[in-house]
Amino acid sequence: MESLLTDLNRQEWLRAGAFFFSLILMPPLTVGIIRKTKARFQNRIGAPIFQPFYDLTKLLKKDETISNHVSWIFRSAPSINLSLLFIVACLAPWTTLHPFGIPGDLFLLIYLLAFSRFFTVLSALDAGSAFGGFGASREVTLALLVEPAIMLSLASLGVTAGTSDLTTVFSFENVKLQSQTGLWFIAGCGLFLSSLVELSRMPADDPTTHLELTMVHEAMILENSATNLALAELTHFVKIVVLLGISSQCFLHSLPWVWHASEITRALASIGGVFFMAAFIAVIESVAVKLRWTKLPEFIAYSVAMSIFCVLIALSRGTN
Amino acid sequence: MTLDTFEALSVLSAILGILILGTTLLRTNLSFYRMHTLAIAAVTAWIAHITKEDHLYVVALGVFLIKVIFIPNFLNWVMKKVDVGSDKQAFIAAPLSMHLGALMLGLSFLLSKQIPGLVGGHDSHLGSTAAMSILFTGVLLMLTRRAALSQIVGFLVIENGIYLFAVTQTHGMPMLVEMGLLLEVLVGVMISGLLLFNIKKSFEHIDVSQLTELKD
Repeated sequence: MESLLTDLNRQEWLRAGAFFFSLILMPPLTVGIIRKTKARFQNRIGAPIFQPFYDLTKLLKKDETISNHVSWIFRSAPSINLSLLFIVACLAPWTTLHPFGIPGDLFLLIYLLAFSRFFTVLSALDAGSAFGGFGASREVTLALLVEPAIMLSLASLGVTAGTSDLTTVFSFENVKLQSQTGLWFIAGCGLFLSSLVELSRMPADDPTTHLELTMVHEAMILENSATNLALAELTHFVKIVVLLGISSQCFLHSLPWVWHASEITRALASIGGVFFMAAFIAVIESVAVKLRWTKLPEFIAYSVAMSIFCVLIALSRGTN
Repeated sequence: MTLDTFEALSVLSAILGILILGTTLLRTNLSFYRMHTLAIAAVTAWIAHITKEDHLYVVALGVFLIKVIFIPNFLNWVMKKVDVGSDKQAFIAAPLSMHLGALMLGLSFLLSKQIPGLVGGHDSHLGSTAAMSILFTGVLLMLTRRAALSQIVGFLVIENGIYLFAVTQTHGMPMLVEMGLLLEVLVGVMISGLLLFNIKKSFEHIDVSQLTELKD
């Protein structure tokens, strides 16, 4: 055991430490950056970047109010979701800090995300409020439309690399993927567009509004309060970081200099990439408007088209 | 295999062309058309850089001035005058026709393998793929849309496809021919713009599918 610890050299442990540190710190910070940037765009000073931390601790201290009619599903769903999302975060290559080379199969990742969505939907239906019901129905419709886009863009990367293990695909070591600037870039665009929908950000859903007729994600967690709400919010924050991290990794892989950079530079670039994407989302939300529900399939079609381009590029590699 | 810059740019222009198909908002269509043509102007300039044919720089500048700046602005002005914002009821829903366009990109990749390259086999292959896909995109635009303005955009996209084919396969025609083509496009667009005003005046809509109905 002693020798094993020294064999798994200190660098690896350092990496793992940095990974878990960033996993705990980054999700609220990213949301803080989004909110701060939006506030600056609207000519406000805005809450401090660390406000999401304060909000979460405040929520944890509060007393909980729950409906008399809910079952154990409603009580347990937020904690199940949070643990699922932490598993996803440990498997997914959302930074280059990914510790111990844990393999993360792309199908496993996508369906773990779907599993957590299943529990969110279930708890929304369990509370029995009308808003929860239609929030759930909208969420499932959107998920159905977005899933092929995420699946196809990740799968075409996997086909080019010759493996379905995302840790290998995103490891900066695969020679087959090294000069595929176009494939990485288009996959990044596709993943980014679909994560906007998946994360209920602006063109699909306005995260700041509480107008019942238009909300998607907010409608589902409407019945949660105190600890449950804090867990649900934290789950969403982790999901934001993971999905934005994967698409920013795609963009980083499309830059040739990152391939030759040192490990520390890569790690810093990947963390900076997530924050940059967050700021970019804030810019989009400041200049764009929420799309009408019936117009949304047209928007999602763009991300599906991007993934079709990815598939075409991956297939054309095969014929050469 | 690594992509040459000009191949990457021509595939980029094909992809931007396909994105035109995705929405029925005419303003967005025109700005995608602008980016698509900008990529084509960049291809021309890059080929001029590779082949050291200086007249292609002038052609690239002409494409930039006329097709990237003037024509979209002119069509935006026409759009404001005839007061149509979007193309209602396309024959095939916009998202579907975009995906069809993406499949056409794959089809043209297979087709262009059958065409022998004119200038040294391999390097013009992706160029002709992009050109052919842009042609298909333009055809799809003209076939599936109803508004006369979309027909003009479709015509311009087809023209871009033929132009890109010529540039990537032959590395540029004589200057006079290129300039003549540009002038032709300019005049064509202006005449069809004026025609739009007249259609709007006598039919009170610009729906091309209803132009066959006689009116007294």
